[in-house]
Amino acid sequence: MDSRLERFTVPERVTHWLVAICYVYAGLSGLALWSRAMWWLAPVMGGGENLRGWHPIAGVIFALLLAMQFRRWAAQMKLDADDRKWLAMSGRYAMHDEHGVPESGRFNAGQKMLFWLQSTSAIVLFATGAVLWFPEVMPRGLRLISILVHPLAAVASMGGIIVHIYMTTVVVQGALHAMTRGYVTEGWAKSHHAKWFRQVTRQ
Amino acid sequence: MTNGWTDVSNADVVLVMGGNPAENHPVGFRFVMEARRKRKAKLVVVDPRFNRTAAVSDSYTPMRAGTDIAFLGGLIHYAIENKLYQENYVKLHTNASFLVKEGFDFAEGYFSGWDSGAKKYDRASWQYETDGQGFAKVDPTLENPRSVFQLMRKHYARYTPDAVANICGCTAEEFRKAAAIICSTGKPDRAGTILYALGWTQHSHAVQLIHTAAMLQLMLGNIGMPGGGINAQRGHANIQGSTDMGSWNNLPGYLKIPRANMQSLDDYLKANTPKALRPNSLNYWGNTPKFMVSLLKAYYGKHATKENGYGYSYIPKPGETENYGWGPFFDKMHKGGIEGFISFGMNPVANGPNTPKMLNALAKLKWMIVVENFETETAAFWNAKKLGEKFYPTFVDPTQIQTEAFLLPAACFAEKDGAFVNSSRWLQWKRAALPPPGDARPDQEIMSRLFLAVRELYEKEGGKAPNPLLRMNWDYTNPLNPSLEEVAREVNGREIATGRQLNGFGELKDDGSTVCGNWVYSGSWTEAGNMMARRGQEDPTGLGIYPNWSWSWPANRRILYNRAASNAEGQGWDPLRTPIRWDGERWRGEVPDYKADAKPTDYGAFIMLPEGVAKLFAADLVEGPFPEHYEPVESPVPNPLHTNVSSNPLATVFHGPLDKLGEAKDYPYVAITYRLTEHFHYWTKHVASGSELQSNFFVELPEELATAKGIKGGDMVKVTSARGHVEGPALVTKRIRPLKVAGKTVYQIGIPIHWGFVGRVRGPLVNNLTPSAYDPNSGTPEYKGFLVNLEKA
Amino acid sequence: MQTVAKLIDTTLCIGCKACEVACQQWNDQEYTLGVFQNTYQTMPDLAPNFWNLIKFNEAEINGAQSWLMAKYQCMHCADAGCIKACPSPGAIVQLGNGIVDFNRDNCIGCGYCITGCPFDVPRLSPKTKKVYKCSLCSDRVAVGLEPACIKTCPTSCLTFGSRTDLKFLAEKRAEELKADGFTQAGVYDGPGVGGTNVIYVLKHADQPETYGLPKDPHIPWTVSLWKGPLKWLGNAVFLGGILTAVLHFVKFGPKEEHHRG
Repeated sequence: MDSRLERFTVPERVTHWLVAICYVYAGLSGLALWSRAMWWLAPVMGGGENLRGWHPIAGVIFALLLAMQFRRWAAQMKLDADDRKWLAMSGRYAMHDEHGVPESGRFNAGQKMLFWLQSTSAIVLFATGAVLWFPEVMPRGLRLISILVHPLAAVASMGGIIVHIYMTTVVVQGALHAMTRGYVTEGWAKSHHAKWFRQVTRQ
Repeated sequence: MTNGWTDVSNADVVLVMGGNPAENHPVGFRFVMEARRKRKAKLVVVDPRFNRTAAVSDSYTPMRAGTDIAFLGGLIHYAIENKLYQENYVKLHTNASFLVKEGFDFAEGYFSGWDSGAKKYDRASWQYETDGQGFAKVDPTLENPRSVFQLMRKHYARYTPDAVANICGCTAEEFRKAAAIICSTGKPDRAGTILYALGWTQHSHAVQLIHTAAMLQLMLGNIGMPGGGINAQRGHANIQGSTDMGSWNNLPGYLKIPRANMQSLDDYLKANTPKALRPNSLNYWGNTPKFMVSLLKAYYGKHATKENGYGYSYIPKPGETENYGWGPFFDKMHKGGIEGFISFGMNPVANGPNTPKMLNALAKLKWMIVVENFETETAAFWNAKKLGEKFYPTFVDPTQIQTEAFLLPAACFAEKDGAFVNSSRWLQWKRAALPPPGDARPDQEIMSRLFLAVRELYEKEGGKAPNPLLRMNWDYTNPLNPSLEEVAREVNGREIATGRQLNGFGELKDDGSTVCGNWVYSGSWTEAGNMMARRGQEDPTGLGIYPNWSWSWPANRRILYNRAASNAEGQGWDPLRTPIRWDGERWRGEVPDYKADAKPTDYGAFIMLPEGVAKLFAADLVEGPFPEHYEPVESPVPNPLHTNVSSNPLATVFHGPLDKLGEAKDYPYVAITYRLTEHFHYWTKHVASGSELQSNFFVELPEELATAKGIKGGDMVKVTSARGHVEGPALVTKRIRPLKVAGKTVYQIGIPIHWGFVGRVRGPLVNNLTPSAYDPNSGTPEYKGFLVNLEKA
Repeated sequence: MQTVAKLIDTTLCIGCKACEVACQQWNDQEYTLGVFQNTYQTMPDLAPNFWNLIKFNEAEINGAQSWLMAKYQCMHCADAGCIKACPSPGAIVQLGNGIVDFNRDNCIGCGYCITGCPFDVPRLSPKTKKVYKCSLCSDRVAVGLEPACIKTCPTSCLTFGSRTDLKFLAEKRAEELKADGFTQAGVYDGPGVGGTNVIYVLKHADQPETYGLPKDPHIPWTVSLWKGPLKWLGNAVFLGGILTAVLHFVKFGPKEEHHRG
C-alpha cells in the first residue's frame, strides 16, 4: 500500500533541526547563566568563557533561521474560526477525547500558538540579548530592562518547548518521524490533520 | 618661607594669594588642612580663578591679575583705619617710629627723586633723619608726620575698599569680607600666614608686591609668630637650594655680586658691610667679611692668601649696571653677544618668556650644551619650525642655523644623592634610589669633567684670564666625580688648621683660617655628622617644630624672626604660641633668632637689619620705599590711581623687533599662565602617568566671554598676543568671573603651561604669548597679567 | 574578621589625582591618553584600566560657586549587586573583611555585574573580555598595608581602618561641619545596599548627585526581581511542565490513530 504523504519538505526539516540545535545550545547555556544551580551545565557547554561567547552567537543564528522559518510558515499559521474553537476545546484534545473538536489543517491550533509564542519570544530574546551582549556600550536603562525581560521571554519560550517536545515525541506518535524523515501515513494524517489530509488528497 | 610648611598648621587664618597650593603644593597643603582641623583656621583665597585651592576655601575673592599691591595696600589701609593692627608689635618691632628726611614725597605716580632723563630714582630723599652718630631718629608715639607710620598711613589713604574694587575688579563688599578675616589676626593671640608662589613673583612689580605682604604681616604682628610669616612656596624641589647657593643675583649665602667698581676685597667689604642704624642693632651682616673670606678660601684653597685678598681678584666682576639676569642675558644672546651656552637642567625655549625670541637667540649661538633627562624643546630648538608646526612661521630652517647643539644625558633626581632644600629651608639629604640609565651621569660628574677639560686647555694653551680656573680649588678625592658628601662637608665649612667641621657660622673667621662654601648652610655637616640626614620626629615645643628632622638654615632655626613673637620683656604675645621665651638668663624653646644669652632689651628683634627692626619703609628697592600699585606692562586699563604713570616706571622691558607689546584695543583680554597639579613643569609630559592625568592643552575662559563669542566647551580657540599665538580646546567655566574694572568689563583667560613640541603629549608653548617684561629687582618675567586676543579657531 | 573600610572626607579633597596615579601604578595598569571634555577630570568615566576616578563637578550651591571633587570607585557594598547578578560562582567574592573582590580566573565576562551594580562601577575590557574594578587593594590589605590610594593621599582626605571606627569618625566630622554652618552635611554610606565599605563625608549630603553619587543607591529592582520572583516563576514553569507531562502520559498515554472513531 502506497499511503505515504509528504508532511515536511527537506528545507523545512533542515531548518527545523538547525533551529533546534541552536535553541538547545542557547537554552542550556542560558540556563547556566540563569541560575547558579544550573552552573554545572557550563563545563558541558564549553566552559564559562566560551559559553559567554557562544550563547549570543547561537542566539543570532537561531534568530536568523527562525526568521526563515517564519517567512515560510507565517501564512499557514493564521488562526481561523475552527482554530479558535479548537483552542476553546483544547482540554478535550489533551484528554484524547476529540469528540466535537474541529479538524485541523496542516498545523493544529496548538502548533500555531507555539509558532507565535516562539516567534514573539525570539524577537524579545534577540532584542534584549543584543543589549546584554555589549554591556560596555549599551545604555544602563536598557540593560536594566533587558536583564529582566530576557529571562522572562526565555521562560515563556522554554515552557512552550517543553510542551512541544512532549507532544511530538511522546503523545503524537509519528510526529517526530514526520520531522525526521518527512512523511506520514494517510491514517496518521487523517486522524491528526484531517483537513490537511483532504487538501493534499483532493486531486 | 619665613616659617615652613609644618608651621602652617599653627595659623588661625591662611591667606593664599599669588599661589595655588592645593594644586601646586598638594603635599604641603596638608598643613593647611591640619590648621583647619586643629584650630578651625579660615582659608582665604584671592585669585583670578576659582581654582582647586578656592574649592576648599572658606572665602574666595576674585581679582584681576597684576593688582595684588592694590589689594594688599587696601588691607593695610583697612587695618590702620579700623585699628586692627597690633600696635605694640608695630612700635617695638618695626621702623614705624623712624623719621624720614624732609623732602620725601609721593605724587602722581612718582616718589621724590625721580630723574625722568635717566629713568631712575635718586634715593637721597628716601633716607632716615639721623643724629650726629649716624643713628636714625625715632618718635615712639608714631605721631610725627614724618614718621614712617604716618607717611605710610598717608600713602595708603588712597587705597579705600572702593578704590581696591575699582582696580582689582572684586566688589567693595567682597573686599571688606576678606579683609575682616585677614585683619582679624592683628590681635596678639591670633596668627595669620600668607602662602604665595609665582602668582606674586611673576610680575613687573613683584618684589614690591612681596614687600607689601611683609608690611601687612608686620602691621598685624604676624612675622616671627608660629602660624604667621610670609611663606613662599617654591616651584621646584631644590629651587630654594639654587637660590641659597647663588645664581646670577648673588654669591652663596646671599653675598652680593662683586662689581667692577669694587676691585679689591676691601672695596667689596666696604660697599657690602652695612653699619648699624640704631644703637641697639645687632646688625649681623656686619660679619660679612667672615662669610666672604671663608667663601674665597673654599673657592681658591691654598691660592687664597691674605696677600692676594684671598683670591678676590679671580672672581669675575660685571660693570656697575651690567645685568646677567634672564631677560638681559637672552637679549644679549639675541643680539649676537654670546657665543656659547650651557643649559644645565634648564629649558629656556619652554620656560622663558617670548618663545619666538628665545628660539632666535639660541640660533645666534656658536654652540650650545643641554644637560637633561630628556630631549627638551631647548635641545631640539633648531627643529622648532617643523616640530612647532604653525607656531613659528618666521623661524629659520634648520639648514640656516649654525649653532652646534650637544645633548648630554643627565641622571634624574632619583638617580643621585645629595640634599634638596625645600620651601621650609630644610636641607633634606636623600640617597640615590637606582643607578642612572645608559650613559646618563650625575650633574657633578658632568660639571667636573667639563671644568677639568677646560682647565687643561688653559694650562696647555693659556688664555686671557686663566687664573680663575687654574687657581680654583679642586682637591676632591675623585676630581672627575666628587662625592656630594665631600662637597657638602666643604659647604658646611671647617677649621683649616685642624680639619674640624664647624658647628655653625658663628665660628667663621675673616683671617683665612676657616673655609665655608655657604655661610647660611654652616652647621649642616658638623663633627656630629650629616645633620641633613636626620629624621627625628620629636616636637619638644609642641608647635610643629621638629628640630631633629633634617636641618634648616640658618642654624637649624625653623621660624625666622622668632624673637618678634615676644614682647619687650621677652614673653610671647600669645603665651600658647611662643617659639622662644626669655627665662631671665637665656632664651628657651626654638633656636632663637637672637643672641641666645642677650637680654630682650639688648637688641632689636631683626638682627640681620641695620635698623634692628623690620622695615615698613624700605629704601632698598628701586621703585620706592613704599610699594605702589602699578599696572602690568600690558594692561587693559590705565592705572586708575595715576593714569600717566600706569605701569612700573622701572620695569625691565626690551625694545627689539621681537619684544613687541600689545595694547588693549587689539588685545582686550587679560591672560595668566599657570601650572596644573597633574604636571610638573615641562617635564612630566615625558612621563606616562602625568600624560594620562592631563593629556591636553586647553584654554580656560569665562562662560560670559564664550557665549559672546559663540564658543562652546571643547571648541578650538586661538589666543594671540603681540608676540605669538597658541591654539587649543576651550574649557568654558563659571570659575573665572568677568570683572568690572574702572567702569569696564574685563575678561581674564587662563592658560596652563606644561605642553611643548617634544614629549609623549604635545601642545603649544604658552610662552609664545608672554612678554619680555621683568621685575627690575629680581629679574622675574611677567607671566601673570598680559594682554591677548581670543577667537574661535 | 573585622570589616575594613575607606573614609573619603570630600571636604579635604583637593582633586590632586595622586590617588589615581597610585591606583594605576600599584595595579600595573596600562596608561592611556585622555580626550578633552571641557573639564579637569582625567576620564569621562571609569575604565577597565582606570579604577579610581576623581569626579569634578562645577555647581552653584546656595548662590556660591562650588567645585566639588569626589573620588569614585567600587563602594564594596555589604549587599553587593554585582555578586547578586554574577552567574559564575567564585568570580566575585566577598572577603571576610568585607572587600568585594573579583577573581578573574572565574570571570566569564558576561557583564551582568555592571548592570547589577547600583553605582555603575565594574568595567568590561573588550581586550581581555574580563571585568575590572577597584579591589580595595585586597592584596595590600591582606599583608597589613593600607590601599595604595590611601597611602598616597596628601591631605588625609582618605583614611583606612575598621568600618566601625571610620563610621564613627565620619559622623563626628559631619557634626563638626554642621557646627561650622553646613547644615546639610552628612555621611553617605549606602544604607540601601546594607552599607558600603567606602564611606563619604559630604558637605551637601542632601544632594549627593552634585558629587556624581547616586541619590539613594539600591540594587536595581529589575535585578532583584530577576534573581528573586522570576527565578521561582521559571522553576515552576520548567519543573511544572515536566511534571505535568509525566502525569499526563501516565494518565492518558499517547494518542491513538482513528480514536475519533
